[in-house]
Amino acid sequence: MTHAVKFHPGLMLLDQYVEGSLSADVALAVSAHIDLCPHCQQLSKDITNDQAAVLAEQEVSGRDAEQEWQQMLNFITSQPAISAAGSVLTKPAPQVASVTVNGRTFEIPRALARLAEKQNKWLHLGGIATAKLPTADKQHVSLLYIDKGTEVPNHTHLGLEMTLVLAGKIVDENGEYGVGDLLINSPDDTHTPRTLADEDCLCLSVLSAPLKFNKGLTRLLNPLQQFFY
Amino acid sequence: MLETTVLTGHHDALAKQKRISQRMTINTDNEPRTGQWEDALTLVALHQDKAAYAELFSYFAPRLRAFGIKMFGNEQQAMEMVQDAMLNVWRKARLFDATRGCASTWIFTIARNVRFDMLRKKQSRKDDISADDLWFDGDYPEQESNSSDSWDTMLMSEKLAPHFDALPPAQRMVMQKVYLEEKSHQEVSDELAIPLGTVKSRIRLALDRLREALDDTRS
Repeated sequence: MTHAVKFHPGLMLLDQYVEGSLSADVALAVSAHIDLCPHCQQLSKDITNDQAAVLAEQEVSGRDAEQEWQQMLNFITSQPAISAAGSVLTKPAPQVASVTVNGRTFEIPRALARLAEKQNKWLHLGGIATAKLPTADKQHVSLLYIDKGTEVPNHTHLGLEMTLVLAGKIVDENGEYGVGDLLINSPDDTHTPRTLADEDCLCLSVLSAPLKFNKGLTRLLNPLQQFFY
Repeated sequence: MLETTVLTGHHDALAKQKRISQRMTINTDNEPRTGQWEDALTLVALHQDKAAYAELFSYFAPRLRAFGIKMFGNEQQAMEMVQDAMLNVWRKARLFDATRGCASTWIFTIARNVRFDMLRKKQSRKDDISADDLWFDGDYPEQESNSSDSWDTMLMSEKLAPHFDALPPAQRMVMQKVYLEEKSHQEVSDELAIPLGTVKSRIRLALDRLREALDDTRS
């Protein structure tokens, strides 16, 4: 199954990801996207080389703090190198990680493997299930499962919403999103994502604020918004 | 999905890395080659060459400090990052793989990851997103399952092979067992039925010889 990824993080986002200045949860979504997207793998490599070259080529003022540097150098070279045969060198290769929900098992990207092992339990509501990943930022990171033929009620984002499709497909008013596609909805964007009749979907969801449901009876869901957040 | 994504565009990246590393090299001849920092890292990896490391240190440490000050906004944490990052360069030089990027990229990503984890730790978070989760592909070679293979391949094919072959057979045998088969000195001693001291002195002799050969190609 080859799906050409169509929705990518912008260059500015990739720049900040490489630099390490994105908030960790947003960086996690970008990193998982990169795991799934050859195009952005290449781009982030190039950006890394570029930022490293800028660092390496910058001018620094001459020979200040010479003594401090010398002390640091002496300290470092007095430390043992990690031995060639030592097991410290090669951490075990990351296992292929998977999650199981609604009787279905999905492979998930490397970036999520460690955290997914510690995921909270799945909470089900209709055809939708969520499981939070343990992170400590303001953003909320969770896995979101949508059974086939299910519609997430029309909602507005009170904050930034990032959704990365990990398996299957979702569709909303703006298009169709497959594996690796990264949707970024800014505050005030409104949409009604749904799955197709014959395919369910697993996503990574990063939310900086709760959703607000807009239509008719679904407004009754608003007290439940904590579920999605 | 994942397996189809690995090496796309690799050659472009290599070409770019080569351009960058050449730009950084003070070239005294026109031969294409890896830069001085890649050579220095190789020497550090090979036998903890302090002189080669000192060269790396005096170039990169002040530049990492400037980067740290920009990112942390203070000198103290910047210096903490420099020490931690440069210590990693010293201890893990063997993990550096010139086929996957140039030395400055490797050092930059180490510093970036150290900084990221320093920030997370400061906010005392357990069970949290770490640099290892975020940066994998080609950035931080620690988790690369075949890193030692490709390192050896690089070492053998590109730099050392001719000199390695020219070693006296007895030294070459010992070096092969220690560095390529990753056996301990004692194992080699047992296997070849020679005293441990002989194993060690053959390694020293071979390293000196290789170092000399590498130095010759550098100057």
